[in-house]
Amino acid sequence: MNRTVLVCCGTGCIANGSLEVAEALRRAISETKTHAIVETVIKQTGCNGFCENGPIVRIMPDDISYYKVKPKNARDIVNSIGEKPVEQLLYKNDEGTPVLSQMENPFYMSQHKTVLRNIGEIDPGNLSDYLARGGYSALKKALFMTPDAIIREVESSGLRGRGGAGFPTGRKWRTAAGFEALPKYVICNGDEGDPGAFMDRSILEGDPHSVLEGIIICALSIGALEGFLYIRDEYVLARKYVQKAIHDAESAGILGGSIMGSGKRLNLSVVRGGGAFICGESTALMASIEGRVGEPRAKYARSAQRGLWNQPTVLNNVETFANIPIIINNSGENFTKIGAENSKGTKVFALVGKVRRSGLVEVPMGVSLRYLVNNIGGGVIDGRPLKAVQIGGPSGGCIPEAMLDLPVDFDSLTNYGAMMGSGGMIVMDDRSCMVEVARYYVNFLAEESCGKCTPCREGLRQMLAILTDICEGRGKEGDLELLEEISRALIGASLCALGKSAPNPVMTGIRYFRDEYIAHIMEKHCPAGVCAALTAFEIDASVCVGCTNCKRACPTGAVTGEVKSAHNINQAACVACGACREVCRFGAVRAIKRRFAV
Amino acid sequence: MIIEIDGKACTCSPGEYLLNIASRNGFSIPTLCHHDGLPGQGCCRVCIVEVSLRDRKDIVTACIYPVEQECSVFTDSDRVKRQRGMILALLRASAPESEEISRLCKMYDAPLYERLTQKANEKCILCGLCVSACETLGASAISSVNRGVEKTVSTPYDEPAADCIGCASCAAVCPTGAISVEENNSSRAIWNRKFTLQLCRHCGKPVGTLDELAFAARKTGVAQTTLCEECRRKAIADEMITAYER
Repeated sequence: MNRTVLVCCGTGCIANGSLEVAEALRRAISETKTHAIVETVIKQTGCNGFCENGPIVRIMPDDISYYKVKPKNARDIVNSIGEKPVEQLLYKNDEGTPVLSQMENPFYMSQHKTVLRNIGEIDPGNLSDYLARGGYSALKKALFMTPDAIIREVESSGLRGRGGAGFPTGRKWRTAAGFEALPKYVICNGDEGDPGAFMDRSILEGDPHSVLEGIIICALSIGALEGFLYIRDEYVLARKYVQKAIHDAESAGILGGSIMGSGKRLNLSVVRGGGAFICGESTALMASIEGRVGEPRAKYARSAQRGLWNQPTVLNNVETFANIPIIINNSGENFTKIGAENSKGTKVFALVGKVRRSGLVEVPMGVSLRYLVNNIGGGVIDGRPLKAVQIGGPSGGCIPEAMLDLPVDFDSLTNYGAMMGSGGMIVMDDRSCMVEVARYYVNFLAEESCGKCTPCREGLRQMLAILTDICEGRGKEGDLELLEEISRALIGASLCALGKSAPNPVMTGIRYFRDEYIAHIMEKHCPAGVCAALTAFEIDASVCVGCTNCKRACPTGAVTGEVKSAHNINQAACVACGACREVCRFGAVRAIKRRFAV
Repeated sequence: MIIEIDGKACTCSPGEYLLNIASRNGFSIPTLCHHDGLPGQGCCRVCIVEVSLRDRKDIVTACIYPVEQECSVFTDSDRVKRQRGMILALLRASAPESEEISRLCKMYDAPLYERLTQKANEKCILCGLCVSACETLGASAISSVNRGVEKTVSTPYDEPAADCIGCASCAAVCPTGAISVEENNSSRAIWNRKFTLQLCRHCGKPVGTLDELAFAARKTGVAQTTLCEECRRKAIADEMITAYER
């Protein structure tokens, strides 16, 4: 039987050395005798999503997945083909039993892969791979449909934009199609900027043709002859594969002067984003493509009417476009069978933070946060208590543990002060300080605001100063009320969605973790033991076994003590970084309130 | 079509900006980043008003809000007062040296928050009018630099700009007098550059910088003038007299 060895070559696995693993596997295959009886093909694929366990190698069709593979494992893997699998490279489930297939792996078995259907299965640089899995069949179908029929199909699917705002995709297309001003444009937003989010990058890197197919179908429906993929400069691999996909599609007659011989044309090009977070905002992105400073404009006239160069423009997110071929192929009605009431289909999330299994996951909309964290993520690392889940990027909110049964869909999250955003999801344990988390995000937004309008630029500057004061023990009575008052001005009077949503981390923090703010302001105490100015660490001598872990982790040499005897922290040398507490396996290091000036 | 502003019926044509309609009808809405001769920007946000349209009430910026449907506008609702007050308070903290901001704060009852961090020696409120004027004029010598809380207005790399013609239009449109222009009888200093002034050949008053007059001549195709506005008018009148005498 012929075997295919799939080596994950997403950015995460490449960083872990997967290119070397692929090379070692190639060498091992050419050197071993298995070559004579087994035809083995190595394929470099896109991201499998379970990056923390990379590099990931899969043997098909046996469906055996190996994790954390090193080049030295190559020979063992090649020798095992058709024989007994290499046990130490298999993933062990929650019971400690090694599992062969991804379908038995708890990280994958609870997922529902629709957008990520091809990723990890195909070589993203190979058009034939995509075609072999039914690629561009939706485009072929769409070419025999009227623009109106295409839009009706998208409308009936209930698809909403995956970039964050959740605007109905079909309605956007219908509006743009209704205007007669030519030329019209189609834009794919690949300027993913949320810290910790990598959904769009993985799709562009792992299955670029599915995005192109969605864009071409959109262009046909609205009558656009030109389109752009705006991809941030840091996404080197994504850009490379998208460029290649455009080139290959053009060479194959799928894109360009005559789409699949239909006589209809579309010219697509890649625009490199310069790295400003605000350029992910649709109107700032268009300004950037036009060569102007990336600042948003007021949306009193929608982009569907006056967008790029003031012409009718449809701008959708990468993930939104990747859904389109599925909708056209399987009908909009079928698409509605998955998902929640007003949020149809699946959503890809980047599940990260203090969770046992982190990575890229795709689930039907409407599943609960608890399901994501516990079933897919396997709960919190070291079994620590879960405190909150930060969702929706820097302008999202922190959802407390008590509300984890909330369904993840566009409307539920907004009602509770958070937002779906583009799908970043950060799990936090009891050692996360909610004031510091808010300060971190407000700092990010203050730096990444375009600075054009007063409330956003000046409001964030003041909010950051107040939050920094609170974290450093200079908080004052009335600070919370002032933060709320500034927030109201931002929400009401900011020019774009960045400013309007920027207070979310602060507002949800004050709403759900008010006690923690009060403790910082009134008692000068950080209950989580994070804010260095308010925290000291001490070692409980009755619990410490003298393992020396903390002593070795301490960056300032503040921890003293001999092996097998209780350790001690010299407070004068301690900078309260918490490294000792992080490494202690016995719970002997405790955070206490700092009693002296820093 | 007719819209209602603070209870008064006002006629307007569709697409007209709300600020225009309001000023035409005698309503005074504060503005900082607005200039009649330049495109609307909507960045200072002090011209916010509340618009009631169908069953929604929204805060909009009057300067760039195009009126497309019949609606009711409230220029001084509680929501407007509260948010405008905060915006002015934020502006005062960012430009404590500006008299214009102090005046507006007093006029519109902006609350005094001592907790806000004040910027030292600052008058600029980053309204963008100077950049817009420079660009509209065709010089594009200054631009906004950086983003977010680091944003400033400057010449490229903060060096004297070769493209600057010293016309001082930027300073003329600045609502807070934040751009420094120093002028004596023969020269003008602005944006770290010194420009020689053309003096009126008749009365000796400054006409403009040499760069500015050359730029204007190049743009209009009319020969460079060496007369100030007043003397130019006089000269034209003299010509007219002789024209009739002939």
